[in-house]
Amino acid sequence: MNPLIDAFFGFAPYLIAFALGFLIPSKRSRFERVAVGSVVAVSLLLIRALWPGPVVDAEPGAEWKPLLTLIVFLPIGGSLFLLFLPRQAPEMLKRFTLGILVLDFLASLWLFGVPWTKGWHFQHIAEWVPSLGIRYHVAVDGVSAWLVLLTTLSTPIAVYVSFGSIKTRIKDLCFSFLMLQGAMLGAFVALDLFLFFVFWELLLVPMILLIGVWGGVERIKAAYKFFLFTMVGSMLMLAAILYLVYTHNQVAGYPSFDYLALSRLVLPATPALLCFLGFFAAFAIKVPMVPVHTWLPDAHVQAPTGGSIVLAAVLLKLGTYGYLRFCMGLFPGPAGQNAANIAGVAVAGIIAGALLAWKQDDVKRLVAYSSVAHMGFVMLGLCAANDAGVQGSVLQMLNHGVSTGALFLLVGVIYDRRHTRLIREFGGLAKVMPVYTALFIVITMSSVGVPGTNGFIGEFMVIMGTFVSSSLGMNAKLQGTIAAFGVILAAVYMLMMVQKVFFGPLDNPKNKKLKDINVREVVAIAPLIALVFVIGFFPNLFLSRMSEGVAASIQRFEAGRRAYSVDPGRKQALMVPRLGGPMERGYPEPKQEAEAAAPPAQALNAAEVSP
Amino acid sequence: MLEALFPSDDFRLLAIIVALPLLGAVVNGVFGKRLGREAATLMGLGTIFLSFCLCVATFFRLAELQEGERAARLVWHGWQWLPLSPYRGGPGDQIWLEFALSVDALSGAMSLVVTGVGFLIHLYSSKYMQEDPGFTRFFCYLNLFIFSMLVLILGDSLPVLFVGWEGVGLCSYLLIGFWYGEEKNAAAGKKAFITNRIGDFGLLVAMGLLMFYVGALDWKGLEAGAENLLQPQQIWPFGSHIPFFDKLGSFGEWVNTPRAVTAATLVGLALFLGCAGKSAQIPLYVWLPDAMAGPTPVSALIHAATMVTAGVYLVCRMSFVFVMSPAAMFTVALIGALTALFAAMIAFAQNDIKKVLAYSTVSQLGYMFLGVGVGAFTAGFFHVVTHAFFKACLFLGAGSVIHAMHARIHDTDASQDMRNMGGLRKYMPYTFWTFAVSWAAIVGFPLTSGFFSKDEILLKAFTSGIASPLPDGKVGIGAREIEIWQWPPWAGYLLYGLGFVTAVCTAFYMTRLFIGIFFGEFRGWKIVKGYKAAHGHDDHHDHGSHHAELGLAIQGPKPHESPWQMWVPLAVLATLAGVGGFLNAHLFHLHPFDSWLEPVFADAAKHVKLVEGAEGYVYPLLGLAVLAFAGGVGAAYYVYVQQRGEPAQRFTEALPGLHRAAEQKFLVDELYEETAIGSVDSLADVAVVADKWVVDGIIARFTAFVVGAAGSVLRFLQNGRVQAYSLSMVVGVALIGWMLLAPRAEARTRVDDEKGVYSVTAAPGLGYSYRWDANGDGEWDTKDYAAANEISLTLEVAQKRTVSFEVKNALGQTAMGEVPLERPKPDRSGAFEPAPAPPDGAPPPDADAEQNAERALKIIENLPGIKQPPAPPASGEPQ
Repeated sequence: MNPLIDAFFGFAPYLIAFALGFLIPSKRSRFERVAVGSVVAVSLLLIRALWPGPVVDAEPGAEWKPLLTLIVFLPIGGSLFLLFLPRQAPEMLKRFTLGILVLDFLASLWLFGVPWTKGWHFQHIAEWVPSLGIRYHVAVDGVSAWLVLLTTLSTPIAVYVSFGSIKTRIKDLCFSFLMLQGAMLGAFVALDLFLFFVFWELLLVPMILLIGVWGGVERIKAAYKFFLFTMVGSMLMLAAILYLVYTHNQVAGYPSFDYLALSRLVLPATPALLCFLGFFAAFAIKVPMVPVHTWLPDAHVQAPTGGSIVLAAVLLKLGTYGYLRFCMGLFPGPAGQNAANIAGVAVAGIIAGALLAWKQDDVKRLVAYSSVAHMGFVMLGLCAANDAGVQGSVLQMLNHGVSTGALFLLVGVIYDRRHTRLIREFGGLAKVMPVYTALFIVITMSSVGVPGTNGFIGEFMVIMGTFVSSSLGMNAKLQGTIAAFGVILAAVYMLMMVQKVFFGPLDNPKNKKLKDINVREVVAIAPLIALVFVIGFFPNLFLSRMSEGVAASIQRFEAGRRAYSVDPGRKQALMVPRLGGPMERGYPEPKQEAEAAAPPAQALNAAEVSP
Repeated sequence: MLEALFPSDDFRLLAIIVALPLLGAVVNGVFGKRLGREAATLMGLGTIFLSFCLCVATFFRLAELQEGERAARLVWHGWQWLPLSPYRGGPGDQIWLEFALSVDALSGAMSLVVTGVGFLIHLYSSKYMQEDPGFTRFFCYLNLFIFSMLVLILGDSLPVLFVGWEGVGLCSYLLIGFWYGEEKNAAAGKKAFITNRIGDFGLLVAMGLLMFYVGALDWKGLEAGAENLLQPQQIWPFGSHIPFFDKLGSFGEWVNTPRAVTAATLVGLALFLGCAGKSAQIPLYVWLPDAMAGPTPVSALIHAATMVTAGVYLVCRMSFVFVMSPAAMFTVALIGALTALFAAMIAFAQNDIKKVLAYSTVSQLGYMFLGVGVGAFTAGFFHVVTHAFFKACLFLGAGSVIHAMHARIHDTDASQDMRNMGGLRKYMPYTFWTFAVSWAAIVGFPLTSGFFSKDEILLKAFTSGIASPLPDGKVGIGAREIEIWQWPPWAGYLLYGLGFVTAVCTAFYMTRLFIGIFFGEFRGWKIVKGYKAAHGHDDHHDHGSHHAELGLAIQGPKPHESPWQMWVPLAVLATLAGVGGFLNAHLFHLHPFDSWLEPVFADAAKHVKLVEGAEGYVYPLLGLAVLAFAGGVGAAYYVYVQQRGEPAQRFTEALPGLHRAAEQKFLVDELYEETAIGSVDSLADVAVVADKWVVDGIIARFTAFVVGAAGSVLRFLQNGRVQAYSLSMVVGVALIGWMLLAPRAEARTRVDDEKGVYSVTAAPGLGYSYRWDANGDGEWDTKDYAAANEISLTLEVAQKRTVSFEVKNALGQTAMGEVPLERPKPDRSGAFEPAPAPPDGAPPPDADAEQNAERALKIIENLPGIKQPPAPPASGEPQ
């Protein structure tokens, strides 16, 4: 009746949640209380807002087209604007950077205000280089939207943490992070291969700055290694892109770098395999899969905490996202034929990553190798190519971002205090740092994949998807079994580390005076902890929104695979018929005169006149 | 009222039952320190008690329903949890799995035990742990455990059960390592978690296989589709064949012969691996004795009464899958019987009272598996219930003893050693009497609960077996047909024999423990000589750490009786242990428990067969059971009371090896250390070396070396000397000049197929002259070279000709070139084929157009869900 009373009851649950969260920290600053309270309230809001209700068909006009452009270019524009701010005012620079990133996060939340139906959303297209068929084409589907959200969530956390431990070259740091954020987001939303490649390469620059400037002792070497590894893959991918565009020009009569157009191409076996391998090399290095993973531990160990968080949470996802979007989307034939082999490599990665992690004496290196194992699960699910597998993979990407990001954050906490990360330097920390220990164990359990945390959902769905996968053939059950075995090893290496660092007697005198986790660190990790449980118990919030996008990807993959297998010995490239519908919204239509000469029409005419 | 509030298809009461302990855990975990001990106790105890009351209400509601329908089940549907794909499902084809809870007769009974015994142990802990600085943390973990256990029991599908399954493992990990300050406690916790994880691996694999064969993971779907498990599944070789061995002749052929078992056997064994992990069966029992490092109430609740019986619960829950495979069932029964005997033998030689009880738990769990393995699900599950009563009581009694001893001897190990006890009967009457009743139950004193449950299991082990799931004993079609492994006729003798020996052993070692603690003189005035050196335990803050000189008298209070919060639970449990057997006393035709559970196992019971004349074995076997009890107890009484332990001493001296082996647990831990753990460890070492030197060596170091070496070589050329640069310039110019001067015989062709006029133009060059063979006869038209570099000629239809030419440069070098020409036939429409490739080499966009169109059409036909374009007439038809 009274709108005020209604409003009160509407907000009451959030107020209660806020109050509960407000009470959680003991003897701490009000800022921390407010922050934790907000995290709890926002988690509740998230659960309630995303709770799957009746699907409403909203008109596509409801989407504000430039939103993605805004999300991508807000940080990039911010980074350029930052250049004009005075270096002598670090506080202002920090506030500006965080402000931009938080705005970006809020803007990305807007993405989830629309029903996630099949097809592309928030599509924004503009001509860029018409003569070469290059367009500015950005859009998200149920898969990339979550990765956008992951990016906009983890970068502010990384930046906020970095401001606590990094005191030098603040301006450069802010610039790098903003530029990195923009480039990563751009790579996730670009649907034009040229645009994608631009963002893909652009993000290397701030990343090597982050490693090379604020990193550890061997930072330069690690930065080189990271750059060169990635570059090798990128060049092969570039060659494959150019070949695709050239072939498209041959077959369709006009050039296009557009994903939608290029994914219709069916190449002859050999070029298809070579182009697939070109893309696969780029993504496999980024993921990273064994045996091209060796850049990762070095980069992680040398990178500052903030850099590690972004590297683990977002950058690696570019590899798996790229595999799903581009390798499976553009080359369904070779991707399908090699699925079992790639899954074998992924499974080997799960086991090898876990074994290697077990033998590390540096906590950060251990976590880096555990990333190799976790990303193996993601690749396995993608190769399984069914709904459970791919959805599990995409969710596992989020999970890995959350839990490994949080692990790096937590490792950074003790590094800031002790300036070492060697396991043998610690022991019995639970006595002096109880809150820190509790948080670390929660994240450990998430990383180990204990049910009730996010890690379990992803791994479980991937394993189940693998068992029933038809694209893995008769290896499916074996690979599923070995992947499940990796779950044991995860417990082995993580608990080994936890036991040595936190339990046992507090021997080392240097550890006796360690301060427990501080306000900044609690505020930074609180959202990740909340996500661990939200995803663990309510994965449907996420999965129900990605399921249409994933189904569309699989449908594209399956259709392309069948088209490819009709005549494996073909000598000429051809294009499959248009799928139509929302999955091809924004297709780069040929110009009028070009259309007259478009080959499908001509080919059909030729068929008519032939004897 | 209950019915109106909670309809049976949306039974939200289950959510409340589960949520209450969680609430207690969260409040105690987050706010416990600030709330204080009293409030934390209230929170911990109150939530569990409420939960227990609601379980009772649920039980009665279930009883109401059960009267009418056969198998009643109350379900709370929860929410959509995660989607799974069916086998051969297309894109978008998914089964949403609910986070649903359900309760039926089996889970109703189990939840009563868990919350009931759980509450008693909470009450006990409130005093036992009173002085501990981690008091609130303890109650947080304990409540979290009850929450997980309830999810395990009430989960409506395997994955939801798995949430609880790993949740209890996690709580067990946290509680074993509760006093984390000591390395060995933390290590024991880790060992428990990892061993359990090995079991969980089995469960994951089982879920994957069930997803593949049945396509569902919830109870309803599994029950409906369990028949699908009767299919052969190839287990060897992996893939199509083992690559290398197929070249090895008959041996390779033998290796590569496909071997298959039924899917039901695989699923059953995988599930049982999970059960073996959780319920501490061979080969995964090793964690349970170490788990005694946790506080004693934890040992009572988690490692005796509830969590460790989860494996038995799972076998009962999945009974309809297990009975599909006699092989899996026999494995369950045999492993159970072997574990029972093996653990009992180790228990003989232990002196730590908690260790004795731990091995006794392993042994009793083996009994339960023996029961369910032979298809006696009710008997096995009844032993779960009675064991929960008497073993919880024994552990709590042991805790009470340790509590008293610890006040005297401030050493965790010494205060648990029965060599320091004796005569406590006088000091702790309540503890003594409750312990005595539970002892009577576990050794099988007639008419106690243990007597009825154990007797039933032994009887069934002898008389029942699993029938073949299919009448002809074969599954699969054609070449994939395999025979189902059949229940052997000698199984009854073997299993009964093992069970009987174990019963005697149990009676013996439990009596030894009982006498050692409560009878004779109190030996704890001084610590026995030869007791291992006391070691630091600085983390046990509540008691100071002053170590007694070994062998000397120590000061300290006399052992005392525990406060009421500790002995009331003991009394309740002892009562239940004493009279609980009458819930299922077949001897007196009194079996409410059996009839309560009957509907749950109705399907599985169809697959159980009894031997001929099974009825007639009841009384003879009963007599044997009493004999086992009397023999074991009598022998122990003779050895430890009448002879004051001398025969045991003599036995030890006569066979020192055997005694030492039993004392050291037959070195199984060491065996695992050397084999399984050792091999994984070496594998990891190999991986590290390979990662550093092979992977990184080849990919990073070697490529870097190649690039670097190339740079070093090229650096010699960039030496900064002008002379060297000019020399290289001269050499370079000379080389380029030579290449430019070399004659090149290249030609371009202009084609007009319609008229048949072809002209060939040779590429021009500096000082070039040419001679031609235009008519293709192999002779040069002119002997001399001329300046003309172009000829043209006319060909008939279908005529072929090869035009040759030779180029000479200014230096007199020559080069020869050939141009094949052909005038094609016109096609039906009179048009000619398109011209050959234009000079720039790019193919025309519509090359092979016809072929392309055909393929495009084929693809269109093969694509599902794609609209057929206006199809042109098929190209093969006449026009």
